[in-house]
Amino acid sequence: METHFNQPQRQSPIGVFVIFFESVFQVLKATWPIILVTLLKAKPGAVFYSFLVFLGVVVFLGIYSFFKYRNFTFYIDDANDEFIIHDGIINKTKTTIQLHKIQQVNIKQSLIQRIIGVYALDIDTAGSENKEGNIKAISHELAVALKSKLLENEGKVTDEVVVEEAKTESSVPFLKINLLSLLKIGITSDYVKSIGLILTFFFTAYENLHQAGAEDMINTEKIEGFVDQNSVWYSALVFVLLMFTVIFVINIARTLIKFFNYTVSQQKGSFVLSYGLINTKSTILKPEKVQITKVSQNYFQKKLNVLEIKIRQALSSEKHEKKAIIEIPGCNAHERDEILKLLFKELPQKGTMMQPNFRKLLFSVFLLIVVPLTGYWLLGTYADETLFDFINLAFVYVIFVFAILFFGFRNYRLFINSRHIIKQSGAWDIDNEIIPIEKIQAITTSQLFWHKSLNIGSLTLHTAGGNVTFHLGQFDKIKAYVNLWLYEIETSDSNWM
Amino acid sequence: MAMDNFTNDTIDTTTLPKYEAVALTRLHPNYIKEVMLSRGLLLLIIAIALGLGIVFVDEIAAQQTLFIGGYVLLVFLMLFLAFLAVKKKAYAFRNHDVIFRSGIIATNTMVIPYNRVQHVALHEGFLARFFGLAKIEIFTAGGVSSDIEIPGIAKEEAENIKQLLMGKIQKQL
Repeated sequence: METHFNQPQRQSPIGVFVIFFESVFQVLKATWPIILVTLLKAKPGAVFYSFLVFLGVVVFLGIYSFFKYRNFTFYIDDANDEFIIHDGIINKTKTTIQLHKIQQVNIKQSLIQRIIGVYALDIDTAGSENKEGNIKAISHELAVALKSKLLENEGKVTDEVVVEEAKTESSVPFLKINLLSLLKIGITSDYVKSIGLILTFFFTAYENLHQAGAEDMINTEKIEGFVDQNSVWYSALVFVLLMFTVIFVINIARTLIKFFNYTVSQQKGSFVLSYGLINTKSTILKPEKVQITKVSQNYFQKKLNVLEIKIRQALSSEKHEKKAIIEIPGCNAHERDEILKLLFKELPQKGTMMQPNFRKLLFSVFLLIVVPLTGYWLLGTYADETLFDFINLAFVYVIFVFAILFFGFRNYRLFINSRHIIKQSGAWDIDNEIIPIEKIQAITTSQLFWHKSLNIGSLTLHTAGGNVTFHLGQFDKIKAYVNLWLYEIETSDSNWM
Repeated sequence: MAMDNFTNDTIDTTTLPKYEAVALTRLHPNYIKEVMLSRGLLLLIIAIALGLGIVFVDEIAAQQTLFIGGYVLLVFLMLFLAFLAVKKKAYAFRNHDVIFRSGIIATNTMVIPYNRVQHVALHEGFLARFFGLAKIEIFTAGGVSSDIEIPGIAKEEAENIKQLLMGKIQKQL
């Protein structure tokens, strides 16, 4: 189907429902505590009136959605190479996006959109202008056609790109992450994040129940009874096991929902990533826009032969930082190499190794062990002697933190080859951040004045996708590398974005 | 892409120009006056607030010596640190990059190659104008942490530097 998009056009008519349901959900999300309290506490008569109010809101949202749909049009202005969106009922907005500034075009599908059978199209732009396009409901063919139309303009910029496009024009999936790999990633990663998630869930649930005056619903006596009947260690063990089970379940569920059916295919010299169980997301990734590539693997993942890759692209502003990160979970060593080869046109080798000075370990031990322990000892001695009852806990803390710091120090390395810089770090999850030299925007070296005679100092590489810092390396070596990198950057006009 | 005709001759790293050996230019002598004036104004406001507090608030009046002692310490610390910070700042414009050094406890040296500069701006502050000074701002695509701001440059010189940088950037494009 040949589609031009030269004329202003609306979204799919059925998209009215998408707008409608989304606004209903937004209202529900903002007011659900009020609704809950009304249902729980109010008299029967009041419930009737609230129902009327609710009905009124729904009708209003229906009308609102209709006009929102009517007034939303989009088209491509070929003369100026711009994509234009008109939006708004009372306050009208005209968003103009220059085609060459378009960084990514994502085709997505939320649950509502999936039920109705339409797709959303997001346009991400680069540059300081914070304009972005978002079309909520179009058919799949139209979305794909528009996407390629928006991105084909890219080819005009440089001839080299066009040549490459011709070579690799196939969309055969080049990587498909299977269920088993996702399960492996699910059980071996992001424990801390899941613990945080559980805690926030409990706190918000409690807070909301408290607000609704329904905290009696939680039976604390049962828990207390259990703890009383059994020894402290046994209770703690049960608690820890329970916690871990919940974490595993949440982790697996989260990974599956987010990354189900993860496919990477190649299209016109860039990657197309699509994934998601409930909301299917499709993202385009251009190798030349990649700034920092992070490969992470922990001990378990190494045994299971899975790893995670996080790719940072050039970001338009700090706010979009989260968006600019692309995750590829659960690939094996072979697939990692294939992806890296496509990103860098070669496999980045770990070259010359640089180690941090032992003072780095000393300093973190001082900060995270000596200082807290001194504080603990002082408080226990002069303020409250019962604090010393928890001496076991302090002991566990010291061993745990020291282990983390020690392994963190042992893994802390900088590898340098002729084209890439790789920073390795982390105590449990070992990260390898790869930066091609031509992506460096600026370099900072830093030295504390008492480190001058010791010849140690730090290095920070600034890229358009964030910074990477290496602390307390041998400073004369760092300076020599900085001079070399500056020479390489300044003598070539390589494309960093 | 460009890497197809990439050659990889050995570079004699010992003969490369050394960024750390470049003689850096200190900021204009008037700049220390500008900084002291702006710090002085801030301290004056704090002094007025403290004075009002002593007159009208009994709790503060009761602890007068403590507050005044704290204030004197603050004056000393702030002016001393500002003085050190100014003394440590220095810059250099090389053929292919700009170097800026700053920092009191740690000495930070930042280098931005001209072919990574997005744009250059000249900023004239209210106080700086009294002393005939301006600030050069150099922006890259790396966000706030990789931008350089060089204050305390004589206005005319700053204009010249900006022209020079603009020329360098234009050439890159």
